[in-house]
Amino acid sequence: MTYSQIIFQSSMLLFAVSIVIPLIFINAKKSLTRKLSLFTLIFACTGLLLFSFNVLVHETVNFHILLSGFTVNFSIDNLASFFIILISLIGLSVAVYSISYSEHFENEIKRNLLVSLTAFFILSMVFVVASHNLIAFLFFWELMSISSFMLVMFDYDKPETKKAGIFYFVMTQMSTIFLLFAFTLIYNHTNSLDYTQLQGLSAPLSSLIFLSLTAGFAIKAGLIPFHKWLPYAHPASPSSISALMSGVMIKVAIYGFLRFLFLLPEQQLWWGILILITGTVSALLGVIYALKEHDIKRLLAYHSIENIGIILLGVGLYMLFSFYRVRDLAMISIFAALFHTLNHALFKSLLFLNSGSVVHRMNTKNIEEMGGLIKKMPHTALLFLIGAISISALPPFNGFVSELMIFQVFLKFNVLSSPIIKIILILSLSLFALTSTLAAVCFVKAFGIIFLASPRSKEAEYAKEVDSPMIIGPAILAIFCIALGIFSYQIFQVIGQKIGINFSLPNLLIVSMTAVFLGSLTYVIMKIVGNNESRVTETWGCGINSQNERMEYTASGFSQPVTTIFSSIYKPKLVNKKLFYDPDGVFFKEGEAKISLIKFFEEYLYMPVFRVISKVSSILYSLQNKIELYPYILISFFAIIALLLYLGVTIR
Amino acid sequence: MNSFLLFAIANLTLVLFLSPLYISVIKKVKAIPQGRHGPSVVQTYRNIFKLLKKESLYSRNSSFITRVAPYVDFTGSLLLSLFVPLIFIPNNSNTFGNIILFSYILMLTKFFIALSGLDAGSTFGGMGSSREMSVSAIIEPTIIMVFAAVAFSFNSVNFFEIIKSSLLSQNHVFLWLLFIPFVIILITESSRIPVDNPETHLELTMIHEAMVLEQSGKNLALIEWSSAIKQLVWIGIIVNIFIPIGVSTTMQMMALSIAVIMFFIKSLLFVIGIGIIESSTAKLRFFRLSNLFAMSYFLSFITILIEVLL
Repeated sequence: MTYSQIIFQSSMLLFAVSIVIPLIFINAKKSLTRKLSLFTLIFACTGLLLFSFNVLVHETVNFHILLSGFTVNFSIDNLASFFIILISLIGLSVAVYSISYSEHFENEIKRNLLVSLTAFFILSMVFVVASHNLIAFLFFWELMSISSFMLVMFDYDKPETKKAGIFYFVMTQMSTIFLLFAFTLIYNHTNSLDYTQLQGLSAPLSSLIFLSLTAGFAIKAGLIPFHKWLPYAHPASPSSISALMSGVMIKVAIYGFLRFLFLLPEQQLWWGILILITGTVSALLGVIYALKEHDIKRLLAYHSIENIGIILLGVGLYMLFSFYRVRDLAMISIFAALFHTLNHALFKSLLFLNSGSVVHRMNTKNIEEMGGLIKKMPHTALLFLIGAISISALPPFNGFVSELMIFQVFLKFNVLSSPIIKIILILSLSLFALTSTLAAVCFVKAFGIIFLASPRSKEAEYAKEVDSPMIIGPAILAIFCIALGIFSYQIFQVIGQKIGINFSLPNLLIVSMTAVFLGSLTYVIMKIVGNNESRVTETWGCGINSQNERMEYTASGFSQPVTTIFSSIYKPKLVNKKLFYDPDGVFFKEGEAKISLIKFFEEYLYMPVFRVISKVSSILYSLQNKIELYPYILISFFAIIALLLYLGVTIR
Repeated sequence: MNSFLLFAIANLTLVLFLSPLYISVIKKVKAIPQGRHGPSVVQTYRNIFKLLKKESLYSRNSSFITRVAPYVDFTGSLLLSLFVPLIFIPNNSNTFGNIILFSYILMLTKFFIALSGLDAGSTFGGMGSSREMSVSAIIEPTIIMVFAAVAFSFNSVNFFEIIKSSLLSQNHVFLWLLFIPFVIILITESSRIPVDNPETHLELTMIHEAMVLEQSGKNLALIEWSSAIKQLVWIGIIVNIFIPIGVSTTMQMMALSIAVIMFFIKSLLFVIGIGIIESSTAKLRFFRLSNLFAMSYFLSFITILIEVLL
């Protein structure tokens, strides 16, 4: 047994301890057991982090567990260890955050349960990534789905949580069905449950497996058009869980997709195009839907859809370029996709944790009722700002670097010869550019309305800063957001030397140093030359001296220009009903006016499918629900005759 | 002397001291058809100097964002000026000159100024931020497409190499299709008619001015100066890509002085052109702007098709 295996297994043990402690002391009123469990979890995540970093740099680790005659193989190679780094890093910060966050729930059973389930959820994701066997993958995949379902249902007494939970559960099971189908096909071909290169698979069969895998993983990743569970599940679940689900769980789907993609032979050109187009559409529609959201957690959920789109855009580019055997561009694309996966995990978890702090103090998720929180919660505000800059892909933070890598791949696509591909790539490039700036618009809105100006409600006026664990947890992520951006050139220099690729990234360290130099020079010169007097006064209100919060710009007002420009996507419906006292319509009695945005995917995709299913099940239901015995006898009779006929035909 | 250091000093000096002039020149050109004398060409310098000597007022609602934003904006603009060779092309650098980094640093400055617009809680500021961010979002695909077209034509994603190869080769006829999109981008980015009106104080028409309404004193001076710098940097990009004549690649004194004179003439003529465009058009309605951007997008799309398919 090697050194790294020992670290891995002791981390697993720590995980088990942190799951079990709160369950044993489920009625513990004191926070001591929960703290003990969370500190164990912190140690477990740190251990995993060390372990997987070691694996990433050095070697692949293999081991297996025998479970009553059935071997479960684990193998942690570079890809798996990268995702374990991601899981344990976010897990670490969520564990720190939960020290204080889990104490805010109403009774001790819920508090203990949250801690235990969080550890269980993180562990199940680690196992999904570590498993090296189809059955093990599926088993842990289901564990991950069920534990996350339980966490979504955590506030089970609220009606909207029930709806969100059921919706999430149905979607996640659909994902498993697609995966099961694909795995069955793979097993039929190889007769082995291990991950092996699928040699000699025919092109149509390979495409079928690819499509089924794509559907299965796309549902879990929240890719459009399978995205609907995200905006339901995230607002319903506790914020630390939203951070884990959005930051990590949907990345596990990306991991699965990449893992099986690398195994498939006979890769077709249209696979890459399909992934590229769905990625682009997801990215653009995700951010456009996010713009109109005023529920902070739903807004962040739509941004997850956007970023998953960007990640798949990178994967799509990788598939295209590797189809045409342009190795260096393909490698840059896949690294961009993986780097964006890490970056999105960092800044999205950061934003979800901070929004959790805000929601906790405000008791509402509606950003229209917030405002002025930068003075009440300065640390949370600063951390949220760092997250907002990162997600808006602004330099020098990490979100910018991965998008820059994708842009640079786009700007070199003239090595390809096919005109159709070029046109698709050009269109995709311009939509991608639109996506990243719309994200900036959305986060100016989010940050501006939540934290700036004066408070719009009583809660905002009396809000207090949260406890230190709820700041330290996200701060860990914020440090990584900054460091991965500023030192990106140095990091990719090292990676590039290892695999022999020149990433040709700009050196953001030098840019930031120049900026700091120029900025401080400006500051000093302004101090010397300029007038240093300053005065705090009222906001200018056209001569009116009673500026109040009702006069401030609102979130809906802020996004109104963009909503109008993209009205063909939102398709707003205006309802204007008027009732009059007299037939001529002179004396107005009452009326109703509202604007509703069409829910395109719900109305045209989900509901038709649902109607078909409910029709089929109502027919089956009518067969079953009889008081008398004879319909059952009749059905059995026909079934047996059909079976005999079938057997007779096939035996002869 | 290190060639990049020379480049940095030359560019910073040039943008700092030349940029306010062009704001005044446009005003002067606009005054002539209106039968006015117009302000003196040194008026913008006087304005900036006057603002520097005034005290700064901060709203009661405002936070550190309002205090930091002018410095981020100004520093960002200075940084941007290091990305575009105006008179001298230094040795290749992978870091400075990257066109994507250029457009995102630009976005960073807008991000902070837009936040400062929301900071005071004034309706004007919020409206300005909202409009500015919307406009910059819908112009962004055009900017990237224009940059992509330039990148494909010159086979580089770096302004240094792009202008260098533009200087060496003269056979990019199709590139002139990009001239209109470039001018539309310049007009949008420097908040000029027909996209925005820098002179009005009518809330229906203003975008940029509304956003910085709460700024005063040296903070306002920095913001105004930085808009002037951004305008000059965009002018530098356009004139040096289309008419690269005169840009020096060596560090000789003679070549450099010719380059300064040539750049001054080229950009002055271009600025006069902008002034003429401004006096002959009316401000567009806000929701008509997307048509203007669609046109420039279309032109750059065609250019890319010609460059990569033919």
